[in-house]
Amino acid sequence: MLGNKQSQKLFALKFSLFLFCGVGLFAGYAGSSVSAATDDYSIIASVQNQTLINGTTNRVPVAGVSVTVTKADGTIVGSGITDDNGSCTIAVPSRDAYSISIDESTLPDGLVLIDAEKAQVSIPKDLFTTNTKRVTFFTGEGAAAGASEIERILQRLADGVRLGIIIAMCSVGLSLVFGTTGLTNFAHGEMVTFGGLVAFYFNVILEIPILISGPVVIALGGLFGLFFNWGIFARLTKRGIGLISQLVVTVGLSIMLRNIFLFQFGGRTKQLSSYSKQVNIEIGPIGITPRDLTTAILGVIILVSVALFLQRSRLGKAIRAVSDNVQLASATGIDTRKVIKVVWFAGGALAATGGIFRGLDEQVSFSMGSDLLFLMFAGITLGGLGSAFGALIGGFFIGIFVEMSSLFVPSELKVAPALFILIVVLIVRPQGILGKSQRVG
Amino acid sequence: MDWNQIFQNTVRAAVGVDTIYFAIAALGLNIQFGYTGLVNFGQAAFMACGSYGLGMTAQYFGIGLWWGIPLGIIFVIILALIVGIPTLRLRADYLAIVTIATAEIVRLFVRSVKFNKIFGGTEGISNFSRDYRELNPFEPGATYGFEPFTFSGYTLITVLVGWTLVAIFALLVWQLMRSPWGRVIKGIREDEDAVRSLGKNVYAYKMQSLIIGGIVGMFAGMVLALDRGSVQPDNYSRDVTFYVLTALVLGGLAKVSGSIVGSMLFWVLFVFCDNFLREVTRSGPLRIGDFTVIQSTQVGAVNYMLVGIGLMLLMTYRPQGLFGNRKEMALDGR
Repeated sequence: MLGNKQSQKLFALKFSLFLFCGVGLFAGYAGSSVSAATDDYSIIASVQNQTLINGTTNRVPVAGVSVTVTKADGTIVGSGITDDNGSCTIAVPSRDAYSISIDESTLPDGLVLIDAEKAQVSIPKDLFTTNTKRVTFFTGEGAAAGASEIERILQRLADGVRLGIIIAMCSVGLSLVFGTTGLTNFAHGEMVTFGGLVAFYFNVILEIPILISGPVVIALGGLFGLFFNWGIFARLTKRGIGLISQLVVTVGLSIMLRNIFLFQFGGRTKQLSSYSKQVNIEIGPIGITPRDLTTAILGVIILVSVALFLQRSRLGKAIRAVSDNVQLASATGIDTRKVIKVVWFAGGALAATGGIFRGLDEQVSFSMGSDLLFLMFAGITLGGLGSAFGALIGGFFIGIFVEMSSLFVPSELKVAPALFILIVVLIVRPQGILGKSQRVG
Repeated sequence: MDWNQIFQNTVRAAVGVDTIYFAIAALGLNIQFGYTGLVNFGQAAFMACGSYGLGMTAQYFGIGLWWGIPLGIIFVIILALIVGIPTLRLRADYLAIVTIATAEIVRLFVRSVKFNKIFGGTEGISNFSRDYRELNPFEPGATYGFEPFTFSGYTLITVLVGWTLVAIFALLVWQLMRSPWGRVIKGIREDEDAVRSLGKNVYAYKMQSLIIGGIVGMFAGMVLALDRGSVQPDNYSRDVTFYVLTALVLGGLAKVSGSIVGSMLFWVLFVFCDNFLREVTRSGPLRIGDFTVIQSTQVGAVNYMLVGIGLMLLMTYRPQGLFGNRKEMALDGR
């Protein structure tokens, strides 16, 4: 046995090594995906016509709109007319505050700006994070699209089911890791992002279809989760570092990973290439693309298999036992460390799956997972922290709730009602639907 | 490479406005996290209370600037009640979850189109700080001080006011923690049940700590808003809280000097990295052979990546911070 001091040093070495390896790994293909930067500053204004076809937003570029960039004092810096991509690039002399306006009379007939106040957009100096700043103006049809109330509700419900499946899938790992180790993992969103971005790498850069690369991505996601445990949290627990300190470590991990993703991937959102252009099929009043229908069915199959696995299989039972009471499970001969490894692997794999689905559903970006983290927390709190079934039910419900609530609140604020649920649950039944009260106090 | 410029920027960062608002925010967070053991991940929202308190005086209410202070305090109390009532009876991580969520929702609200008239939307609020500018005895355009500590008159007033506030709050926190109230607070961090068994209302004490820490944090937001002359919703993102937390852990939790020294160190290191990497990539991406190591658009990501790594390493190897006392670090007493 090594002395305590020595083993600490060894750990320090390994831990730092791991960090550098991690960074190096990602730095490995630096710059390949990000276009080279110049020292010139420019503003890209683009005009997009947005149409809502059965709940899916379609964007078509609008050409021939005149755009003017002025300085804060009103002097005109430059102007241009949008091209076939609906965008025009206007060079600006320096990183400064500008205001960009479009001439509404040059819009094609029948189109108006969706947000009439936004014919002029001001950008402060701070927003020039890179040399180019993109500003988009959205237009829409003049008259409001006529969809009946019941159709809108059903459409939201369908969207909600899709979001709910993704949230449920992503949160199982978060809840089980909490149940088995007591750790609240704020870096869980990054595991989702990992899935989405690796899928993007395979799908768009290596041009492997999602159906083939998907399972690989999911396996990699599982290994990523295992890596979290092996590289960091198992070691921290071994060193006797408490859970609140570990929680702060997950925050650091989250910041690090998100910025590695940003470094590699850039700040823009991008689209997976498989199944990106599809037309809706109509099922009664609901319009859904075959892609979304397939992912929804696949998602349900995955969720049901997870539930069956936990309910029926030996390992699943062991997981639930450890999640329930670590000491008791350990006393009955369950290898808790193995169970924890399985949980990290499964959690990572499910999070990566959620990332792929989310990427197909919307787009991929470096913060796609951390943007969902709050909804996942709301879901598992509702279902009961530490309970796997709770995560499934709670996550699913939160997804539906968020989409449905956009019937009543502006869609930019549609996640706010989830906070309301979170708070109400904590006041009324802090252990959640399926949690046990003893864990909470 | 302009080492002189890098050196000057780095040294100036030790006393600059960024350090000041971080130090004030960290002093507030220290009351909550360091002394009471409350995991508040929403300090950015408390800062936003201050900034928007000031900004809304002009944007919405049309009253004098200094009404922003009582307005901000009201916002802080409302926010603290929202996050505190459901969570302060529960285990520590629930507060973390709810504060991080609430802070994000607050940011979504203030930048929303719906409430554009009240909060100014994504463009934020400007043109509210005239009362403050008129108090400025310095010539805004002129340069004051000596190398490397040179500031324009416009910034100098905020630097002086800011450090005065830092001193006041440092003294306040120091006195508070020597008081009977402070002893109860620290007792709650060590062993909540023991304090409860002595007949103290732990819940009320925690709430007071949350509010007082929030009010201190609010002033950090005010300093930021007054210096920038504008209130921007994206200055109060979730990550700001984490950077303040990193600064706090760097200097040492549960120490008054820790918040201040930590913020200075944080910004010195940050500005050094930032300036150094920008110099390196200024004339084009840094390459070794065909391999692109880093280019100018990636500098920001690298800086924050290092912050994340720093926070992890600190929490693992020196949870007491560079100068802290390990005995005071009983975050896991419960």
